[in-house]
Amino acid sequence: MSFDLSFSNWLHWVIQPQLALHIPDGFLSLPVSLVCWILAIALITLCLNRVQAQYQEKAVPLMGVCAAFIFAAQMINFPIPGGTSGHLLGGTLAGVLLGPWAGSLVMVVVFIVQATIFHDGGLTVLGANITNMGLIGTFGGYYVYRTIRYAIGRDTWKGVAFGVVIASWLSVFVAAIFTAFQLALSGTVPLGIALTAMASWHILIGIGEALITLAAVSFIWRTRPDLIYHPPRRFSTSRSLTPH
Amino acid sequence: MLLHINAFHLDIDSKQFSFWHFLAPKTRVLCTLLLVFAIALTPNGRWWTWGIYGIGVLCLVLLSKVTLPVLFKRIAVEFAFVAVILFGTLFRSGGEIVWSWGIIKITSEGLTVLGSVTIKALLSLLMLNLLTLTTSVPALLNGLIALKMPPLLVAILASMYRYISVLIGEFNAMRRAAASRNLTGNSGWQRQVIGNMIGALFIRTYERGDRVYQAMLARGYQGVPPVSELPSGGKRDIVALTLTLILALLGQAIYLV
Repeated sequence: MSFDLSFSNWLHWVIQPQLALHIPDGFLSLPVSLVCWILAIALITLCLNRVQAQYQEKAVPLMGVCAAFIFAAQMINFPIPGGTSGHLLGGTLAGVLLGPWAGSLVMVVVFIVQATIFHDGGLTVLGANITNMGLIGTFGGYYVYRTIRYAIGRDTWKGVAFGVVIASWLSVFVAAIFTAFQLALSGTVPLGIALTAMASWHILIGIGEALITLAAVSFIWRTRPDLIYHPPRRFSTSRSLTPH
Repeated sequence: MLLHINAFHLDIDSKQFSFWHFLAPKTRVLCTLLLVFAIALTPNGRWWTWGIYGIGVLCLVLLSKVTLPVLFKRIAVEFAFVAVILFGTLFRSGGEIVWSWGIIKITSEGLTVLGSVTIKALLSLLMLNLLTLTTSVPALLNGLIALKMPPLLVAILASMYRYISVLIGEFNAMRRAAASRNLTGNSGWQRQVIGNMIGALFIRTYERGDRVYQAMLARGYQGVPPVSELPSGGKRDIVALTLTLILALLGQAIYLV
């Protein structure tokens, strides 16, 4: 890649608007929206209660800045293998760093702000967007990561790395498949077209997501491992000053 | 959608005087919700329903004296993203074939779905843009609290809204720092550096959360940013809500009789 190209690429990171998995208004039918809303409201209520109990008064500032962090991180474009560029969805990243409850809550807050203030994703389908990317992407992603991490080794970088890569790719891919099914069930897009389009595109997006999540988590693992949810045991009681 | 984020001045028409502006924020939110849900959840092919809703939305746009060029510009940007997905709705079997070229067939059913979804997305976007153009974010948040949304959720929304531009500024500073140190290289290296930046941004964010909490305690935090004189609601609000409800029901009723 020539210097010019990569440098201009570099400068255009932040102002790139993006097309995420966000479904716009009018694409889902009443029954599909309704079921998704029920799931989403249940998730929000549970998350709010858990986070309130865990962080108490700190919940508001901490969740607020973390949601703003995910929002900002989603706007950063980076090159993905295959020549195009993509951006982070951040569901698994939020889960790995903040845990399933706080992570899902942060993602939910991001979707609400995107739908109401920036009109990225519809209002009536907000329930579906929360279900796809909050419940499946973040909550599901976290438990996939956790299972793999604990199976390979809780306190080893290998375990965390494999968990992060597989969970973040899977969360994007499965969320895309769910979106395709919702669009097809609503009679908007035929199932075949929806599945092929969403799946083939998100195989690539998922690779980008996995690579960038891995890079971000590895930076935190090297510099501040105590900030990872369930930190490695050496760091969980006192903050060690010895370099890793 | 995200193009006007740096300016961050979404409510350019919030200081106008009109019937719509005299309504309490919660009434505006309720009217918008009612109309958007009615528009977007109507089954495909009910053209008359959207005709009625369209007239209602247009009346509201004119009544609220929003700056039309800004409204249309935002709709155009937002709709460009919707259009990409819209394309997929066209190619389907069912109904009679209107046009075919090789294996590509456009059927009457495909056209119906495409038209319906386009109208629904467009009208919903109009209504939502109208709301955010005329209502400031603190007023919106107050409206949400008045509508019994969980206060903790609204407080988190408010705190997030305040820090978006701070964090984007922080990331831009990191990006400038990288550029000024001659960061080039292949895409793999770029990805690695961006990953490191995101990691660094998270560490700073987390520490910022702690500092914000300390500052909050020191200053007597109340939850939602204060807003200056908002209309509190009254007869006008009831009239507006009733009219919206009648409009929503009228649109649906036209296919029942």
